[in-house]
Amino acid sequence: MKIRDILSPFTVWKNLFRDPVTINDPVRERPGAPRYRGFHKNDVKKCIGCGTCETICQNGAIDMVPVDGIAAKEGDSGLRPRIDYGRCCWCALCVDVCMTKSLTMSNDYQWIDRDPDAFRFTPGVDKKKWDDAELGYTRPDAHRLTPEERIHMQELGPETRIGSFIEIVKGYSVDEARKEADRCVSCGLCVATCPAHMAIPDYIAAIRDGDYERGLKLLYDTNPLPEVCGRVCTHKCESVCAVKHEGDPIAIRWLKRHIADQVPLDKYRAIVGAAEPATGKKVAVVGAGPAGLSAAYYLARMGHAVEIFEALPAAGGMMRYGIPEYRLPYPDLDKDIAFVKELGVKITLNTRVGKDVTLDDLRKKFDALFISTGLHLGRSTKVPGADHPKVFQSIDLLRRVTLGEDIYCPEQAIVIGGGNVAMDIARTLARIQTKKYGKVGVTLLCLETEDIMPADREEIVESREEGVVLRPGYGPTRIDTDGDRVTGTRFVRCLSVFDENGRFAPRFDQSDEIAISGAMVVESIGQGMDLSYLPDDLQKQIVFERGRPKVDRHFRTSLPWLYAGGDIVQGPDVIHGIANGHAAAVGIDIYLRGKMEQ
Amino acid sequence: MRELYEQLKRLFPLGEYTEQRRDLAFVTVPKDHLRPLLIHLRDREGFTHLVLLTAVDWIEEGRFQLTYLMNDRAGKRDLGLRVLIPRDGAAMEGIHDLWPTAATYQRELREMFGIDFPGSPRVNGEFILEGWTGMPPYRRDFDTKKFSEENFNHRPGRATKDPAKHMKDKLYPDEA
Repeated sequence: MKIRDILSPFTVWKNLFRDPVTINDPVRERPGAPRYRGFHKNDVKKCIGCGTCETICQNGAIDMVPVDGIAAKEGDSGLRPRIDYGRCCWCALCVDVCMTKSLTMSNDYQWIDRDPDAFRFTPGVDKKKWDDAELGYTRPDAHRLTPEERIHMQELGPETRIGSFIEIVKGYSVDEARKEADRCVSCGLCVATCPAHMAIPDYIAAIRDGDYERGLKLLYDTNPLPEVCGRVCTHKCESVCAVKHEGDPIAIRWLKRHIADQVPLDKYRAIVGAAEPATGKKVAVVGAGPAGLSAAYYLARMGHAVEIFEALPAAGGMMRYGIPEYRLPYPDLDKDIAFVKELGVKITLNTRVGKDVTLDDLRKKFDALFISTGLHLGRSTKVPGADHPKVFQSIDLLRRVTLGEDIYCPEQAIVIGGGNVAMDIARTLARIQTKKYGKVGVTLLCLETEDIMPADREEIVESREEGVVLRPGYGPTRIDTDGDRVTGTRFVRCLSVFDENGRFAPRFDQSDEIAISGAMVVESIGQGMDLSYLPDDLQKQIVFERGRPKVDRHFRTSLPWLYAGGDIVQGPDVIHGIANGHAAAVGIDIYLRGKMEQ
Repeated sequence: MRELYEQLKRLFPLGEYTEQRRDLAFVTVPKDHLRPLLIHLRDREGFTHLVLLTAVDWIEEGRFQLTYLMNDRAGKRDLGLRVLIPRDGAAMEGIHDLWPTAATYQRELREMFGIDFPGSPRVNGEFILEGWTGMPPYRRDFDTKKFSEENFNHRPGRATKDPAKHMKDKLYPDEA
């Protein structure tokens, strides 16, 4: 060993007395750049828990977790993103894709902690010092990963459509449908809101993949009337679509229609499948509307023999005799019904239960009954003159138009009511007037002001385009008559429709009166049910709640063999009827299988 | 910047012009005119500094976009030149003889996007990815999620819920 090797460590000592060449720079505030992508912030009130951030994260750094105090509700899953900073690479794709713009990033990036699990937290829920940071990264407005505008739907213009009952909405082409389907982020928030809980993201994905057979099968799992619902569904799903927060909601209804339109009827059975082996049990359904058809379809699938009794000459209920053809063409309705029949359901038409056949007869011949007779009785305003023969009920007129009758339709007509049925009759009369007189003369008045009119927005817009005059905010006081003629109706200004408890209690300003002239008045202020076919002893045994038969979750009434659904249970709506019918079919199946085991 | 663009347009067949800020603009240039334009900018217009060279994968169009960002120090302005090249067999003439630093960018683009720059020094050598044999990771068809799941562990105790399923459990557990 050399002497140098022994001494050299000590030569280091001399450096102790030198000025250091490094500078002392302890950890201190070093703020990130203004648009730095630091720790996440989440406005949990704005966040809807759609999980799109989790889906896009390329590092699997995000989990969707339940949070105390945030409950699942329509349009909000109640979940919130939790981020694992052990995997986050700060790419900000989650911020860019965020459907509500609730997720952002602060420019704070410094944080020291000895517990590695501390770096897994739920922004906005677990309080952090950067929650109020003003700087950081937010998605620039022009920067979108999903297109915000709905693919335009081709529709007939007002001038063309007013002259006929041809369907207004043309439907998407394959290419348009794929583009629209491509905007869906598959979060599934819509499924809870759909009364039938249809597998919406899955059938939209089928369109994306061009796999219409898979799409159709998915539709039939929960809805045997896709051509109908694809056209006239109230599409509550679209009102909770995650995309609506920063753009147009996905056209879910049109996409459903697109699938059904793409597949010809003769392929249905091979795709959807045939019925299960016969159980030997028989079920009667009263009324061939959406609820009755839906119950019949699912019961037939389960192997039960089903017969529907329908009073009118064709099946469909309100879908045929209420909704006008320009919204739902009969061939499309017939396609849906044809497949229900193909599955073995027998539909006996022109047979009114209570008149042509009694309910007791049905009870003796069948093992269970499902009643879904709908709301076919119009309500009257009962104002003086309302009993005049030139004062009509919208629901009667719509039925007579479908039946092909030549209805009374003068040059000037008055429609009272602000719902979709009022729109249907107003627009139907407008078409008949155009054919007869070459011009439209319909005035529609309703209690509600335009902002709270119950009709769909598109109905209001389209009826105006077609020349219907809307006068929202008026209530009728008297219908003026002269012998066998109606000359007009007087209305007073309606100040408010509901009281402070939200109950129907209209208030009027009697001094603000207007007179509308017209040779016919159509009342369209609501519908009631006719359950006179139920014998008195049964009526006594069935429990009613607010005028409707009370049912359990399987839509069973207080009588074990009697099930009820559709409008008489849930009020007017096609998709609710379909959901009821399905739920009742499941309940009836349980009941019948229980009897088989006995 | 617009003025400069108008001047340059008289000399070169330039494409689309986007002005992002008063001192930052982008111009699309045909592949074969990049080199003369770069030399012109360097020698006549004061753009002496190559700030960076990067790429974008426009997979739907089957093209890569190369962006050469040039800086004019005296004029305090930046000009980005965009060149679109086919994605299949992607290759581009190098500019390392004009700016030696370009060699490093070209090596990076070779590794991350698989764009070749024939003749560029050590262009095929490993840059930051050691022992990488798969698809270049900045290509859009590279499955980043799959790679991260295969290579990085999850901390124990993580659990996630599907929004639609969670809503069913909470809002309508009894319905079909």
